[in-house]
Amino acid sequence: MPFKTVKQESADALTLEWMLHVKNYKLTLDKNRCVGCQVCTLACPKEAIKTVKQPKLPGEKAKKAKVDIDMAKCAFCGICDVTCPYGAVKVTLNGVHDLSILAKDSYPTLVRDIKVDTHLCQKECVECEPACPLSLITVSKVGFDGNPVQDVAALSPAAKKRVQITIDIQKDYCPTCRVCEFKCAAGAIKVKKAFEGTISINKGKCPQGCSDCLDVCPIKGALVLGDDKKVHVNEMFCTYCGACKNVCPVEDALSVKRTKVNHTFIHSGTWNKALERITSPTDAIKELKAQAAESRRKVVEKRFLSEALKNE
Amino acid sequence: MSDPQPKHNQPEVCNCKPEELRIGVFVCHCGLNIAGTVDVKAVAEYAKTIPDVVFVKENRYTCADPGQAEIRKAIKEQKLNRVVIAACSPRMHEPTFRRTVSEAGLNPFLYEMANIREFASWCHQSDPKAATERAKDSVRMAVAKVRLMQPLQTIEVPVTNKALVIGGGIAGMNAALDLAEMGFKVYMLENTQSIGGHMAALDKTFPTLDCSICIEGPKMVDCARHPNIIIFANSELVKVDGYIGNFKVKIRKNPRYVIPEKCTGCGECKDACPIEYPNEWDMNLGTRKAISVPFDQAVPLIYSINKDYCIECFKCTEVCGERQAIDFNQKPEEVDFDVGAIIVSTGFDVYLPYDMPLLGYGKYPNVIISMEFERLILAAGPTGGKVIRQSDGQKPHRIAFIQCVGSRDKSHYPYCCNFGCMYTLKHVVQLKEKYKEDVEVYVFYMDIRSPGKGYEEFYDRARERGVNFIRGRVSRIDEDPTTHNLVVHSEDSLLGQPIEVEADMVVLATAAIPKKGSEDIARILNLSRGSDGFFMEAHPKLKPMDAPTDGVFYAGACAGLKDIPASVSQGSGAASRAATVISKPKWKIEPIISIVDESKCRNKTAKCGVCQDKCPYGAIRIEQGKPAQIITASCHGCGTCVAECPQHAISQMHFTDAQIMAQIRAALEDKPEEKILAILCNWCSYAGADLAGISRFDYPASVRAIRVMCSGRVAREFVLEALRLGAGMVMLGACHLPYDCHYISGNYKMKARTDALKGMLTKLGMSPERFRVEYISAAEGIHYAEVIKEIDAEMKALGKEKIQAENAKLKPILDNMLKRK
Repeated sequence: MPFKTVKQESADALTLEWMLHVKNYKLTLDKNRCVGCQVCTLACPKEAIKTVKQPKLPGEKAKKAKVDIDMAKCAFCGICDVTCPYGAVKVTLNGVHDLSILAKDSYPTLVRDIKVDTHLCQKECVECEPACPLSLITVSKVGFDGNPVQDVAALSPAAKKRVQITIDIQKDYCPTCRVCEFKCAAGAIKVKKAFEGTISINKGKCPQGCSDCLDVCPIKGALVLGDDKKVHVNEMFCTYCGACKNVCPVEDALSVKRTKVNHTFIHSGTWNKALERITSPTDAIKELKAQAAESRRKVVEKRFLSEALKNE
Repeated sequence: MSDPQPKHNQPEVCNCKPEELRIGVFVCHCGLNIAGTVDVKAVAEYAKTIPDVVFVKENRYTCADPGQAEIRKAIKEQKLNRVVIAACSPRMHEPTFRRTVSEAGLNPFLYEMANIREFASWCHQSDPKAATERAKDSVRMAVAKVRLMQPLQTIEVPVTNKALVIGGGIAGMNAALDLAEMGFKVYMLENTQSIGGHMAALDKTFPTLDCSICIEGPKMVDCARHPNIIIFANSELVKVDGYIGNFKVKIRKNPRYVIPEKCTGCGECKDACPIEYPNEWDMNLGTRKAISVPFDQAVPLIYSINKDYCIECFKCTEVCGERQAIDFNQKPEEVDFDVGAIIVSTGFDVYLPYDMPLLGYGKYPNVIISMEFERLILAAGPTGGKVIRQSDGQKPHRIAFIQCVGSRDKSHYPYCCNFGCMYTLKHVVQLKEKYKEDVEVYVFYMDIRSPGKGYEEFYDRARERGVNFIRGRVSRIDEDPTTHNLVVHSEDSLLGQPIEVEADMVVLATAAIPKKGSEDIARILNLSRGSDGFFMEAHPKLKPMDAPTDGVFYAGACAGLKDIPASVSQGSGAASRAATVISKPKWKIEPIISIVDESKCRNKTAKCGVCQDKCPYGAIRIEQGKPAQIITASCHGCGTCVAECPQHAISQMHFTDAQIMAQIRAALEDKPEEKILAILCNWCSYAGADLAGISRFDYPASVRAIRVMCSGRVAREFVLEALRLGAGMVMLGACHLPYDCHYISGNYKMKARTDALKGMLTKLGMSPERFRVEYISAAEGIHYAEVIKEIDAEMKALGKEKIQAENAKLKPILDNMLKRK
């Protein structure tokens, strides 16, 4: 049958398309945002996504793993789009980014819980903006006259007081690394990680002098090369994406485990399976049990409430 | 088809020697048709001298009532127990005289015809003396055979009064409905999710422009509701065993992941489903949900999950709720049932011209095929009836239609698709009536073929609407990469000059091709397919709905492309053909079949099974340590196994080795080195030789012809015996390779056998031209005459002396080889 599909790859993007007469499904992978982690591969219900380890050339730094998508298997559901912690994948229908899996409650969205209280901001401070390893933060300051303020220090104390600060974070692309939170002296930013878990390095196995994991880690500061020429982890900044694990040359030297994914509440077979793969069967069961307990609680509450109403 | 059922109601063979042979010979004048050339009196006088002939009679017209009455009278009065009728071709009157002799109380298989009209008087008019000699030899050969004939009984098998219809398109539905109305139970097998076929996907039908699904929909529902019809949709044919009246069918129901009995067709699951995939039924122009029906009017109305796209979120299960119709663990299920007749109505596929790069299909977004156009203009289609371009979603203002894409094209599909002209006329009339002056339409055609009721008038209607018809073959289509408009390059053969037309959209009327999977159906049901890939009829004119396998019939486009009215008529026709079988409690089978002499069969002691391998019908069953068994009702009587059996343990009733050997000996009794012995198969080469006579093509009278049912029957011994007896030349006539054989592949078996034989004979010192195989169709009378002329000339060129010398050298070796026999 004349079913036209297009797969194109450039240095910046990988696009897959279903060119139907009246519909156009398009998947775009932004290679600049993609960090070569494990999440989409694990989330994909059709097993259409593969992460391919790139060969390391002598004298060069390690390259992040490359993501490849199988046209024949892809169903353009958009699960990779929703799950990608870095927001590197976009699936559109006729150019509109409006995913049916979300509209039909078939899949949850990641909860990127970032709270910013600009009242606490020091008026001069712009620490968070350069701190963001992915340059997703823009700090803008507006004076009492509504005009943008360039140099706060030059203002009079009264005028300084009236400066309003806005911190704009491109949440869709934010992996919730918490670097900004840490850098903010005033404690104005509170970030809850979307993925929770553990990362550890087996010191015995970690080869001395190798910094492959560190080279591909998108969050500067999550992994550090210690004085012993070995890599140390800083759990606070780790997003548990697993990009490092994909390039580690020694088996079992590095372990990344995700234990929990913060997401909107949903009943979905697809999500249960994706969760099982992204975390582990035991961790997925934990969530299912919690869900079951939650629904039981709701049932009890409802009954209790109705009885209470009856008694009234 | 192989049959596991041991069926052994073999014809009773009377082994008791008849008290005394009393042969009657009736020589026909056929007016002057025979008597004008052949000296009938001399033939009759000669017949009296043949041993065992006790009565000879000449008739003016043997086949007329008085002639037949004389035969009956003679049988009774003269106590004849064998009859030879020297008249026309057995292909003409054998059944007539069988009836005549049986009316006189004689077994109908105790008579033989000598063909002295087509094979003597008509083809040797220039040499009456030689014609008379040939006629005498023919009578002698017939007498030689009839001496050894045995009375045979027609075989009867029980019949299952049910039918299977394979393919639920418009032809299959009509066949099923007619049979169901006659009171027969019908199983309907459909491999897609809904019955309806191509017609259900069409917008309008020509030339009346009535809505296709509106007229077909009620029929689909009738099929589903009819108490005598059971529909197996989304199912495929696995295996068919058995034979006419007694087919054992195995089908596989593929999983839908929805339980048919529980699905109410409400469609709530479809609304809950988040996933879409390209709808093949819409020619992939639009999409359908991962749980859906292909189209709203689908029958049976049962939803199906496509696991290739389903992400298993179970939202459908959630909304289906207490109905519990969804079962993700459904497995394929096999179902067995028995039927008496099978109707094949598998239809056709539409050709997608990806391999014609100059037309740009698949490359240029605005080049589409007619079936896609059909879905575009259909109000219930993916665009809601708006004709739009894929590139920009805009309505095209200039549309070019290109006819015969792949059809009537020697490098693709040489045949005419039969309905391409008409559906394009429908499309252009629809466009003109919908968009009026807003659309300009061009049709590039080779010829407009509109032979049908109201079809030519419909062509006029298109012309009156101002459609531009350009007669010419399109050489290529170019695309403007910015506007995605197309430039059609063609010739205008009426003006005799090249022409270029810029169009917003191009619609290709592509070829219709054999259904994918036809080869599997052909294999399962033992059907043959023509060089075009469509199923072959038993006879293209007189049995257009009969398959070569008894009890299997065709309806619709699977046996050659047809439009809707023709498919509907064939559906009803096939139903009535099938009813001729399943309305009877028993079915009669000609006893000209093979039987095994169990005492001789090698398979009892060794692993043999040659006959099983060579049987084109799988009618022979081999079990280790047991003699081969012939499934009487599956045996078509070609005799290939007889010729192949290394132990000579098999013989074919009515065409036994002894009978044919007797004919050979009789033919070569006198001056063998001046004779050509021809062994001809009944269906092609014998018919071709008949045609040579009917057409009065004169050829040398040195030929002596023997009829067998199939060239596959010709054993090596026949050729060896002929040469041992000193025959000048030996010729085998067969059906053309690869598809013409009436018994599927008898000619191939013969070829393998004779290729080896010829090599051996040449090594033994025989001139290679003395034995040849010729492929002659029933239509090639002239070819037969030419071949005989050629062989005769070669024989003369070799010279009697050379032939005799070769024979003298060959004889001791052949004597030795044939001693075993």
